[in-house]
Amino acid sequence: MLACLLILRRPGYGYALLETLESCGFTVDANTLYPLLRRLEKQGLLTAEWNTDESRPRKYYVTSPDGAALADILSRDWDELNTAFSKLRDDE
Amino acid sequence: MTTLTDRYVAEVLRGIPESQRDDIERELRSSIADAVEVRLRTDEDEEKAEVEALTALGDPARLSAEYAGRPLYLIGPGLYLSYTRLLKTLLTTAVPLVLVGASAAGFAGGGTVGQVLWDAAGTALTVAMHVAFWVTAVFAAVQRVPKARDRRLKRWVPAMLPELPAQRIDRLSLVGGTSIATVLICLLVLVQLYGPVPVISPGLWESGWLYLAVVFAAVRIGFDLVGYYLGWGVPQAVANAVMGLAFAVLGGWVTAGGLLLNDAFLTAMGWPEGVVVWVVVIAVVLMALNDSVNGFVRALRRRTA
Repeated sequence: MLACLLILRRPGYGYALLETLESCGFTVDANTLYPLLRRLEKQGLLTAEWNTDESRPRKYYVTSPDGAALADILSRDWDELNTAFSKLRDDE
Repeated sequence: MTTLTDRYVAEVLRGIPESQRDDIERELRSSIADAVEVRLRTDEDEEKAEVEALTALGDPARLSAEYAGRPLYLIGPGLYLSYTRLLKTLLTTAVPLVLVGASAAGFAGGGTVGQVLWDAAGTALTVAMHVAFWVTAVFAAVQRVPKARDRRLKRWVPAMLPELPAQRIDRLSLVGGTSIATVLICLLVLVQLYGPVPVISPGLWESGWLYLAVVFAAVRIGFDLVGYYLGWGVPQAVANAVMGLAFAVLGGWVTAGGLLLNDAFLTAMGWPEGVVVWVVVIAVVLMALNDSVNGFVRALRRRTA
């Protein structure tokens, strides 16, 4: 979820996001990702809009200010957890 | 001609509220088209690309449930413990009472022993299955109503911890009670069949009422086992008391009506019938009372502990 919020700071659509996630090393199933995007939109963390300029209409998602704020908090939590683990490893 | 994609999308949309269908359909179709397009870059076969793209998306029922936010399980971890507790309570209280009640009704109706016991066991099994089914159905429904689901049914507090086995019903009294009951029943049967003068009135012996007493004893032993292995609480004490009451009423009525004891036996022993009958009635009532009270004492002691 954090990865989605970070990647979607630049607008993106479902399938492209799936490919980006995979190329970054995140394993996620399409049948989990698509419903997740809609849930995040419903919670106001993403905003979505249809783009009909291209060959086929696609729904583009972009991280909202709320989503960006949450991404900051989650990133910090993640860093803290990572620091804690690193400390454990170094203690040995 | 409908394509595989059409069929897939229709299957996903079936479980989704009307208001969201159009948007989800558009997005899902464009996502599938994207996936097919990427596969076509390396492969010429369009049909194969479509099959692969849909396979990657997986079971449409799962995708549909994810979109609609429906749980993919019957009863979730939040409700599971309340569910098993309620099920245990109902099964250990209702089923024994039904067994006794159905046996009593059967004997009163005058069936043969085997038939009555068989029917009573069948009724008890039916009730157990109904209890299990309806409790499960209600919990599964609650799981699907967000407001009801998120309200905790009962908060756990340390006082709810069950007693250790030694303090519930101790093993000695369990084994002792069971064997004494068995020995008494055997003695009674032997005296009745081979003794010079039967103790129990022959009419009662033949009517099958005595077998009801055996059912009572069996259920009583069953309650002891429940107390020993599953724990004892107020619901079990109430069921036990109801059974005690039934036993006192039936036993008292049969004895007071002069149906229990054999007149010939009383004459042979030279005991006055009126006094003996009252002694037996009072003994039966006291036994039932003592047992019921004990049940509550055990249940409440656990509570206040």
